[in-house]
Amino acid sequence: MGTEAQHENDPGDDREPYDPEALGPESLEQEPLDGDPPEGQKPPEERESLWWLAASPLLWLAHFLASYLTAAIWCAKVGAEHDPIGPVRVAILVYTLLALGGIVAIGFFRGLRPHELGTATVPHDFDTMADRHRFLGFAVLLLSGLSFVAVVYVALPAVFYGSCR
Amino acid sequence: MKKTEPDDVEPLPYTPSEEVREAQERRLQKVWAVPKGWRYLSAVNNETVGGWYTSAALCFLLFGGVLALLMRLQLAVPENDFLSAGTYDELFTMHGSVMMFLVAVPIFEAFSIMVLPEVLGSRELPFPRLSAYGFWCYLIGALFVCGSLFTDAAPRGGWFMYPPLTSETLEGYGPDVWLLGLSFIEIASIAAAVELLVGVLKVRPPGMRINLLPLYGWYLLVVAAMVLFAFPPLIAGDLLLEVARAFDWPFFDAARGGDPILWQHLFWIFGHPEVYIVFLPSIALVAMIVPTFAKTPMVGYGWVVLAALGTGFLSFGLWVHHMFTTGIPGISLGIFSAASEAIAIPTGVQIFCFIATMLAGKLEIRTPVLFILGGFSTFIIGGLTGVMVALVPFDLQAHDSYFVVGHLHSVLIGGTIFPIVGAIYYFMPLVNGKHLSERLGTVAFWLMFAGFNATFVPMHLTGLLGMPRRVFTYPTELGDTVAWLNLTSTIGAFVLAGGVAVFLFDLLRPKKNQPYAKRNPWGAGTLEWLPDIPEEVPWGVRSIPEIDSRYPLWDQPDFVKHVDEGRFYLADAEELERETLVTTPVDGKPIYCLRVGGPTFVTLIAAVFTGGFFILATFHLYVPAIVSAGLAIAAIVRWLWKGTGGIPAKDDKDVGLGLVLPTYVSGSKSVGWWGMLITMLADVTAFLSLVFGYFFYWTTNAEWPPPGAPDLGLLWPGVALALLLGAWLCTVAARSLNRADRGPLYHAALTVGALAAAGGAGAILWAPAAAGMDPTTHVYPAMVWMLAIWTALHAGLGVLMQLYCVARRAAGHMDATHGAEVVNVTLYWHFAAFTAFVTVAVTAGFPIAAG
Amino acid sequence: MSCAGPQSALSPAGRDAERIATLFFWMAGGAVVIWLGVMGSAIWTVVRPERAHSKRTADLFIVGGGVALPTVTLTVLVFYGLRMMPGLLHPGPDLEPRIAVSAEQFWWRVTYRVDGAEPVELANEIHVPIDRRTSFALTSPDVIHSFWVPSLAGKVDAIPGRETHLAFEPTRAGVFRGACAEYCGVSHAWMSFHVVVSSREDHEAWLRRQAEPAQPPEGPLETRGAELFQSSGCGACHTVRGTPADGVIGPDLTHVGSRQSLAAGALDNDVDGFERWLTATDDVKPGVHMPAYDALVADDAHALAAYLEGLQ
Repeated sequence: MGTEAQHENDPGDDREPYDPEALGPESLEQEPLDGDPPEGQKPPEERESLWWLAASPLLWLAHFLASYLTAAIWCAKVGAEHDPIGPVRVAILVYTLLALGGIVAIGFFRGLRPHELGTATVPHDFDTMADRHRFLGFAVLLLSGLSFVAVVYVALPAVFYGSCR
Repeated sequence: MKKTEPDDVEPLPYTPSEEVREAQERRLQKVWAVPKGWRYLSAVNNETVGGWYTSAALCFLLFGGVLALLMRLQLAVPENDFLSAGTYDELFTMHGSVMMFLVAVPIFEAFSIMVLPEVLGSRELPFPRLSAYGFWCYLIGALFVCGSLFTDAAPRGGWFMYPPLTSETLEGYGPDVWLLGLSFIEIASIAAAVELLVGVLKVRPPGMRINLLPLYGWYLLVVAAMVLFAFPPLIAGDLLLEVARAFDWPFFDAARGGDPILWQHLFWIFGHPEVYIVFLPSIALVAMIVPTFAKTPMVGYGWVVLAALGTGFLSFGLWVHHMFTTGIPGISLGIFSAASEAIAIPTGVQIFCFIATMLAGKLEIRTPVLFILGGFSTFIIGGLTGVMVALVPFDLQAHDSYFVVGHLHSVLIGGTIFPIVGAIYYFMPLVNGKHLSERLGTVAFWLMFAGFNATFVPMHLTGLLGMPRRVFTYPTELGDTVAWLNLTSTIGAFVLAGGVAVFLFDLLRPKKNQPYAKRNPWGAGTLEWLPDIPEEVPWGVRSIPEIDSRYPLWDQPDFVKHVDEGRFYLADAEELERETLVTTPVDGKPIYCLRVGGPTFVTLIAAVFTGGFFILATFHLYVPAIVSAGLAIAAIVRWLWKGTGGIPAKDDKDVGLGLVLPTYVSGSKSVGWWGMLITMLADVTAFLSLVFGYFFYWTTNAEWPPPGAPDLGLLWPGVALALLLGAWLCTVAARSLNRADRGPLYHAALTVGALAAAGGAGAILWAPAAAGMDPTTHVYPAMVWMLAIWTALHAGLGVLMQLYCVARRAAGHMDATHGAEVVNVTLYWHFAAFTAFVTVAVTAGFPIAAG
Repeated sequence: MSCAGPQSALSPAGRDAERIATLFFWMAGGAVVIWLGVMGSAIWTVVRPERAHSKRTADLFIVGGGVALPTVTLTVLVFYGLRMMPGLLHPGPDLEPRIAVSAEQFWWRVTYRVDGAEPVELANEIHVPIDRRTSFALTSPDVIHSFWVPSLAGKVDAIPGRETHLAFEPTRAGVFRGACAEYCGVSHAWMSFHVVVSSREDHEAWLRRQAEPAQPPEGPLETRGAELFQSSGCGACHTVRGTPADGVIGPDLTHVGSRQSLAAGALDNDVDGFERWLTATDDVKPGVHMPAYDALVADDAHALAAYLEGLQ
């Protein structure tokens, strides 16, 4: 994963150096110059959807709402103020593992893999389908990272609170 | 030169002859001309409407500012009697409401209506008449709400309107003015959000793939989507509170099972995203301005996209941090506190992307840059104090104290007002061709910056020394430090006002003798700087360009020349129609040539009657209000009938460069379908907010349904559900029948569907009536009634739409291949059927399931 | 400039307020450092003499400053804040709250639970013993208020239909000021109270005194005032224990003369204060429910004031 930066005035430093190790053994055969993936690995064109951008944040939102509603409903309807909330903590743990698993999967299959399709052109600002594909991958990857941290944060209170008070 | 696909479109290789170009320009001029004289009010051109809208929002900004100065005068010394307590309450209520509802949200929408087509190199937004309607609604509603201050009917419940103070205690029309006047404006805000969202997704220039979208577009996409999901919960809350006030339904009366905390949830589910709705567009402006003055592309484009989207999502998980002191369980507090801290991460990323851009280039210090750096300084203070108050322990002290006043103004003035003033200095050459004064701008900046800090930095301390918010005065007993800090704040406020006055003078001073700015005066790389200066033409871009770069003005050779010479798409208007291109959301491939409406008074008329409904309802004049609503619906139907859809003379058209595009599409390719989808997402959000209310009361009432409550039964809800689902299926069938050109069956299906829908609406209302539910006795019957009424209204609207489709085909405006109306109405009915299903499942099914 | 003051969160006199103040000073220090760092680097990019920086520097800047730094800082802060909360929410040794506070427009009804005896109802003043965690139950019959004594602890709202909780654990004796922090109507600014922290023995002695009925009027002026109190119908709203006055709408006045202030912090507690209050309630506290007895002739008002002031 790299950050983006662009230097219009400095064409020599315009692109990430080609890094064969990052791409695995087969990709060594690829032509490194124009950033296009080899034939047969062309990114899908119109089938590509913007919804994948929302996938990881939506998992965060689902985790967040599930955790909050479980705690709130338990405390309102089931447990008294001083009772321990063991089941709520277990539920939040399960939600957290599910959400983190989903986010990692999205980040890898819809983020990292498209981001690294073909050769890396880090700012992803070419007017090509391949670069658009890589850009969306990069954005999904970053959003997955943020969602991961946010899910962990939301799960933390379950560690510290033992009752409904 | 940027890399493109091998088959990328190039501009016309030669310059068209002088005569050809002149003829084209004559036709464009004729089509896009803004009406003159009194007909000027019928204009719908985005630049005209956006200009009105922005000017109006700036006027309300000044109005809100004057209210603040009056408050600061009152607070200058302890136990002052410059203002009475009641007047002070009206002022702080109006200051907050004006700044949030009449300035912060509208100004971004207004400004975007003005510049978005330029930013996207298109001719118009997809629904120009909707923009005009939204503007008129805004203006009428805003004048009504502000006018209340001069007739002693102003609301005094605070901009947050917490019941039961506002539902049970406050007399007069004040809260009604707030609830209905602002609901009306919220609807206008949602209309503008639909417009901008469809604009960014669909009305981009060819070749502007999603990875080349200007950052302004990304931010707008996020913010418009946030408006769509944030405003509806507030509208649902407004509905509950207004019904509670007008008809004594007990939503917030604890004695009858209600709970005032529900309002706080609904208000803050709106209110916290609102902060980011206000803040992100200003950051979008910064993202357009910083690369220009740093003379380098934005560093970390992908990171900024992350930050915009991430902030958008996370902002919906923070609302309870405004409710940390309401005694909710610690674990819930912790969840919201942690989520509130998480949002600081994307916010930090944005700031560092800007600094990295400044690092990669070299920033030139001009007035816009001063305002942006001043905004950073201020906003970072607000962000850091925000991190503090998001931590529950500290918030228990800081909440509702002057610390929070200091914090929120740092965020909103630093994050919004400073960038907006900077942006006005930046964009002014595009508006009237003249630069504002660098010297006056510098003076204005330093006065505003010093004044801001003197006003709001001391407030953090004032609050921690024990001064609560929303007090019309404070006792001498609080000590000398509090008194001195308050006096400093008052002096600072006037210095800040002095800075604003200098800025206003600069804005309004006559500039007749000042030379025009040169074209693209700051040397920017983005499309909004394409227009010539002075711009004397109404059509936006001369031809719609093919985009290969994030900064086409920097990267694409001879770009301006090619655009100017009409060597790209749609250089002409042969059919004398207002046209722009619609492209695909991901890759920006052209799909059709969109024809948009021209000048009309029907939007103004529709807005007046819509306003009439809300204003008359405020004063409980329900019969005239319903008449006014009927007239508004009639005006809107006429607007749609005359102005939308219809079978074009030719099914496709050559848009230039050998590209032939259809002039009519239906379904998900068309902007109308997207408009319906997005509107209905907002609508269903409001509905789900009501459903949330039902379940919220389930958690707060020990028994639900309460003992002795009438039983709704299954008969009538079942009948209603069957009829409404039948109406939905009839509509779906009609869509297929139209496609198959089975005219008579199509009409039959829709007619049966309309009858079923009308019957369903009746049955769903009859159910609680037959069960003997009295909505004033307890919140349980009140909630059942509310859901039933909501569903019945949607069924009624569905009937109107079905009949509209019947009439359209009968009148020859639809045929088998031109069926956009019935496709969009079917989409509406998907949502209506969902609403009916959930209503019946909740009101009839849940009590059985629960016990 | 000083951080001291009767209502200051920064000169704490209770365990909770101390912890929050310490948290604040740490956060404020950190915030200043971060602000200087960020603004310093922004300004440095503008004034630095050399040419554009390399892509790698800009990259590092975003990842280091924009991602790593906030994530680490915030994680520490979230841990610290979450760990602190259970202690702040803890009610202390009592199973039932010791003191019930009902927040009403625009005053505070305070009821003390006494082991093995009738509860004692008082108003607009709260006494708590030092070095003991005392818990409160908060309610409201009208609108939402918020109970805030910055020197002792954070605030908690009083909400119609709900009961919320808060606890004080004072570490320093003295008189502290509290206020309503949630906008509750036109006299929100004048809804204050005092908290008196004293040793446990003093506290118990005080509570015993407050539980007793009112002392009879002493001089002739006070006696006339007492008669006026009964004949003017004051007893319809107010209670003076030991007399026929047993109204429950307004504050209990059995020992009103002994309090720190009048009308929930709006006036000094002396004969003049009472006179002004009786004759001009709405001027002193706009929107107050008690009518102004401006028909009272000056002598009567004076007598009534003297009687009330004498209710020590």
